[in-house]
Amino acid sequence: MSLSDRVTVDRSRLSAWLERHALQLTALVTAAILVVMLYVPVGVVFVNAVLEEGGLTLGHFADVLTDPFYFGAVADVFADPLAIGTHLGSLAAWLGAVSITLSLEYPLPGIGLPVPWLAVETPGVRTGLFGFTAYQAALSTVASVALGLPAAYVLANYEFYGRRTLRSLTILPFVLPGIMVAVGFYAMFGRGGTLNSILGVVGFGPFAFIETYPLAIVILAHAFYNAPLVARLTVAAWESVDVRTVETARSLGASKRRAFRDVVVPQLAPAVLTGALLTFIFTFMTFPIVLALGGLQLATVEVWIYDRIQRLEYAEAATLAILETILSLGLTYAYLRYESAQAGFSQAASRPAREPLYPDFRTALSPRRLAIFAYGIIALVVFVGPMVSLVIGSVTDGSGLTLRNYAFLLERQLEGASFQTLPLPAIRNSLLFGAATLVIAVPMGVVLSVLTVRAGRSGTVIDTLGMLPLAVSGVVFGIGLLQGLVFGISLPGGWRLQVTGAIAIVIAHAVAAYPFVTRNVSPLLANLDPAMVESARALGASRLRALLDIELPLVANGIVAGAAFAFAISIGEFSSTVILASGSESYTMPVAVERYLGRRSGPAIAMGTLLLIVTAASFVVIDRVGGRSEL
Amino acid sequence: MTDLRLEGVSKRYGTDTGGTTALRDVDLTVRDGEFFTLVGPSGCGKTTTLRTIAGFEEPTTGTVSFDGQPMAEVPPEERDVGVVFQSYGLFPHMSVAENVGYGLQFRDPPTGLTVDERVADLLELVDLEGMGERNPDQLSGGQQQRVALARALAPEPDLLLLDEPMSALDARLRESLRRQLTRIQSTLGVTTVYITHDQQEALAISDRLAVMSDGQVEQVATPQEIYREPKTRFVAEFIGENNVFDGTVLARDGDRAQVTVGETTLELTGVPDSTDRVSFCVRPATLSRTADTNRFSVAIETSEFRGETVRTYGQWNGMPIILQLTAVPEGDVTVGFDPDDAHVLDSV
Repeated sequence: MSLSDRVTVDRSRLSAWLERHALQLTALVTAAILVVMLYVPVGVVFVNAVLEEGGLTLGHFADVLTDPFYFGAVADVFADPLAIGTHLGSLAAWLGAVSITLSLEYPLPGIGLPVPWLAVETPGVRTGLFGFTAYQAALSTVASVALGLPAAYVLANYEFYGRRTLRSLTILPFVLPGIMVAVGFYAMFGRGGTLNSILGVVGFGPFAFIETYPLAIVILAHAFYNAPLVARLTVAAWESVDVRTVETARSLGASKRRAFRDVVVPQLAPAVLTGALLTFIFTFMTFPIVLALGGLQLATVEVWIYDRIQRLEYAEAATLAILETILSLGLTYAYLRYESAQAGFSQAASRPAREPLYPDFRTALSPRRLAIFAYGIIALVVFVGPMVSLVIGSVTDGSGLTLRNYAFLLERQLEGASFQTLPLPAIRNSLLFGAATLVIAVPMGVVLSVLTVRAGRSGTVIDTLGMLPLAVSGVVFGIGLLQGLVFGISLPGGWRLQVTGAIAIVIAHAVAAYPFVTRNVSPLLANLDPAMVESARALGASRLRALLDIELPLVANGIVAGAAFAFAISIGEFSSTVILASGSESYTMPVAVERYLGRRSGPAIAMGTLLLIVTAASFVVIDRVGGRSEL
Repeated sequence: MTDLRLEGVSKRYGTDTGGTTALRDVDLTVRDGEFFTLVGPSGCGKTTTLRTIAGFEEPTTGTVSFDGQPMAEVPPEERDVGVVFQSYGLFPHMSVAENVGYGLQFRDPPTGLTVDERVADLLELVDLEGMGERNPDQLSGGQQQRVALARALAPEPDLLLLDEPMSALDARLRESLRRQLTRIQSTLGVTTVYITHDQQEALAISDRLAVMSDGQVEQVATPQEIYREPKTRFVAEFIGENNVFDGTVLARDGDRAQVTVGETTLELTGVPDSTDRVSFCVRPATLSRTADTNRFSVAIETSEFRGETVRTYGQWNGMPIILQLTAVPEGDVTVGFDPDDAHVLDSV
């Protein structure tokens, strides 16, 4: 055998080896990226929370846990857990002081509309920062379920023009940047907002809604985000209820109402509970909405962590971040356990027929139809109002139509100093980071999907580890990246791992985005008949070749949808970007919106509208390819 | 064409302590060009056996060899096997012709043929001429099944593996496809391993078959031998309808013996010397009202009219018994059988 022959043989053997181990190799690369981009930053936060001047300490935790500012009344319990008698005594004293009253109240300022008001008077208990965060999350969850369930009912049971579009629109909030929604609510409920303009026409106002009821507005904004999620999950469950199970119950003697309660409700409950749990997790970690609408006055844990970072108090921020992450991981674990305990929603063998929503004028006036109509108005105000207000607000001021807000952006672009936030770099950065996020997040997400589906039982572990970003808030991740990669990590041998500026931001975006790719691809991949890949292999295709020829083409829709999600997530990402971009020129559109909001709302609203346009474009892609998300 | 041999093949899933055993010490030899069937109830390990042959499963112990070559390190794509799965596994994003031609990217078509000609030949072989441009989802179940067969045969595999390829089809279609399959197999002479849970299909289609139960091979033989001379109680009861009884040997004369079952004494042949306890089976069709030996009375419970025959279920000596009569009986009936029609099992 000549030398050249031998080289050829070696090369073909090498390429065969590479091809056979391609999956393992990509898995290794993905794992390495995840470790550097995800686990190291989060680990750094953890380490910083337990380190003080080079030594291990739990002092930071003790400080936070026993501080009534953070944990309110519970802080005493943490401070002295064994004084059970004292704690029970104070609990009893508190319960004894609770009073419940029923009275007529006039909740709308300036309007003489009496409303029966059930008031629960509790002697001021200090809930602390964590208590308040949980409290607003609980209220937001209730509001989201209350707003989402009627939507699910209508979407699952009635046929009307645009139903399918509306159903697919329920995915929209996921891709809407939080800061943009906040500005939308600002444009609607602010002193010069659309609601006050409308009220002004009939001679009321203007009212300072946001200043008077900041918590209510924040909760409404959270419902804007999460009610569609509740509706989406519930509709899916409702559509998979086999109508024959209801018919069987009816034939066995159950009334219509009873059959609904005994057969339908138990099949919906898991979906509603999943929606509620996810809503609670998301709103517990809320950040841009509270930051923009409530400020420090309504500070949640996230907002406070951000404030600590601004004041360079990293140890305290890290401690809070860890506590918050432990809580949210616990909740996410509960969610995953619960989700896996539920059998997947199978497509019903026979679906109930949908009733037409408005068959004729007479039916349209039935109480049920009128209630649906009333709900429709509320939904219109809550969901469409802020977005329309955003667009209207960008081209109006107190007196009428104007392009002043856009002119301001243009002027700032042309004449602004380099330290100021310029619109064009923000747009350019957003698009650039979005594209870079795609390049990283899509392969990562797909590889994780392949590994999860392939690995079978141990796939759940990979899935859970890979889904960590969903449970770690952007702010926490932001400080992780800041303290870890941006400040740099010393490696043995005098090397230093340091990633800064734009690259750090892209990393943050990619980590936030890839779970959406995975979530879009995995269900499609898992549904593929394994016989297809095995047939391909028996016909002579290597494992890699079968992946390229068979699996990837068949899950292409999921990949494109996942990519659109990833792009939209990147465009809208605020929490970690605002931390990583501070003091640099790597600001993005959402960060620009927030910075403009600080002064006058007009330019922020105009910037928000531009963000809306870019985001809407990526939603069109998601919708076109018929993306479906498991979330 | 290939001789296939499995020696001491076992397959365990999970840990040593907590797992399940799918195959226990399976030994099989499939001869070159043979149509060999693995039959057994679901969960008996027949699919695991096929997947081990194809290389989709690694045996925990034991070896699989093709023509004496051990296959342990050979991945599925290098084994030259054609596989047809129960769900067919057609590629939905490729046309019928692209499906059939897929394997010809990796193995050259037979000398003198282009890929297109080979694809056309195979479509003709399975009676799907001119269907090449269709998508798989435009075909009926039976047509899809034939596409899967054509696809598996296109690269001229050494071994054809068929995993319940007809179980998704209705009975009438299954029979006609069965005839088509045996025709194609004998034309091509390709060594074939066929899997089914349908014992009638197994008897009808095979040169030889292996009856499997609980991860083990119970018996390997020709269909006639399996049917007439089952070795174990499982084979006797699984293949066709059968009556299996236990008795005690009273007296012997050569291989003839007097055997009592309950209060009845019967005469059997082929009773081994070694034991006093025997198990034997008598097919319902051989229990006749007119036989003059081994007569006994059966208490009738129910009868099913089946056209040519009447299937009758009753009790004899406290044991269930199945008869095949020509008319619905009135009251108890007396039947008998020729000693040569009963078969004594190897094990009790």
